[in-house]
Amino acid sequence: MSNVEEQELKDRLSIIESMIAEGRRTTESWGWTFLLWGVAYYFAIAWSALGSPAIAWPVTMIAASVLTGVIGSRISAKQPETTTGRAMAAIWIGMGISLFILMICLGMTGRLDLRISVAIIGAMLGASNAISSIILGWKMQFACAVVWWTAMVAALFTTENIAGIIFLVAIFFCQIVFGIYGMIAESRRNKARAGAQGAFHA
Amino acid sequence: MPDLPELNPVIHGKLRLALLSLLSSVEEAEFTWLRSKTASTDGNLGAQLLKLEEAGYVAVEKKFVQRKPQTLYRMTESGREALTQYVHALKQLLGSAINA
Repeated sequence: MSNVEEQELKDRLSIIESMIAEGRRTTESWGWTFLLWGVAYYFAIAWSALGSPAIAWPVTMIAASVLTGVIGSRISAKQPETTTGRAMAAIWIGMGISLFILMICLGMTGRLDLRISVAIIGAMLGASNAISSIILGWKMQFACAVVWWTAMVAALFTTENIAGIIFLVAIFFCQIVFGIYGMIAESRRNKARAGAQGAFHA
Repeated sequence: MPDLPELNPVIHGKLRLALLSLLSSVEEAEFTWLRSKTASTDGNLGAQLLKLEEAGYVAVEKKFVQRKPQTLYRMTESGREALTQYVHALKQLLGSAINA
C-alpha cells in the first residue's frame, strides 16, 4: 500500500472517530431550566406569603412544567435525540412528578411542615443534581447537589424561619446563579464548536 | 498471506462516512443538524443521504413539527452492521500502520 493510500485510509478512520464524538457531544442546553425553576420557586414562595399557599405551589409548579415543555420542545426541535438527553429528561421528570405528588399529599393531609418540606426538596434536588452531574461530567453541578444536601441537613436542625431562609439561599445559588452560569458556559461551548467545524465532500 | 478485505464503496465516500458515523451516535437526526455538522450543501447532502437510503443504511421520516416540515434520518440495523464491517476492514487494511 502506498503512503498516499495509507494516509487516505487513516483519514477515513479519523472521520469516523471525530463524527461519532461530535454526535455524542450534547449541544442541549439546560441552564435556562434552572433559572426558570428558580424564578418559579421564588414566585410560589412570594404568592404563598401573600396568603394563597394552597393554590400558589400547585399552580406555579404546573405553569413552570408547561413552560419548560413548550420552551424545551422549541429549543430541541432541530437537535437530534440522544440517549444522554433522554436520561436527563427521565431524571428530572421523575423527580418532578414524585415531588409534586408528595407535596400535594402532604398539603392535603395537613402534614406540611416547612422544615420537612425543605429537607425533602433538598434531598430530591440533591439526588437529581448529583446523578445529572455524573452523567454530564459537570463538576459544578455536583456542587449544587452538595448545597442541596447541606440545606436538607441544616433545615432539620433549625427553626422554621431559619429553614425558610436556608431554602431561599439554596434556590439562589443552585437555581439562579447556577442557571445563569450554565447558560453562559453553554453559549461559549456552542460558539467554540461552531468555529471548529470543517466541510466534508462526497 | 490472507486476502485483504474490500472497502464498501457506498460507505467509503467521505460525506457518506461522516453521515453514517454521526447517525450511529444519535437516535435520529434532522436534515439541518446533519448539514451543520458536515458543513455540506443541501444538494450534496440530499444526494448522499439518498444513496445511503437506497442502500438500506438509513431510514427517513418526514413529519411536521409546529407546522414546519422536518426530515428525520435514523440509522438502520443493516447500516450499523455495514459501518462495523467497514471499520473492521479499514483496521485490517491498515494493520500495524494504525498506531504509527
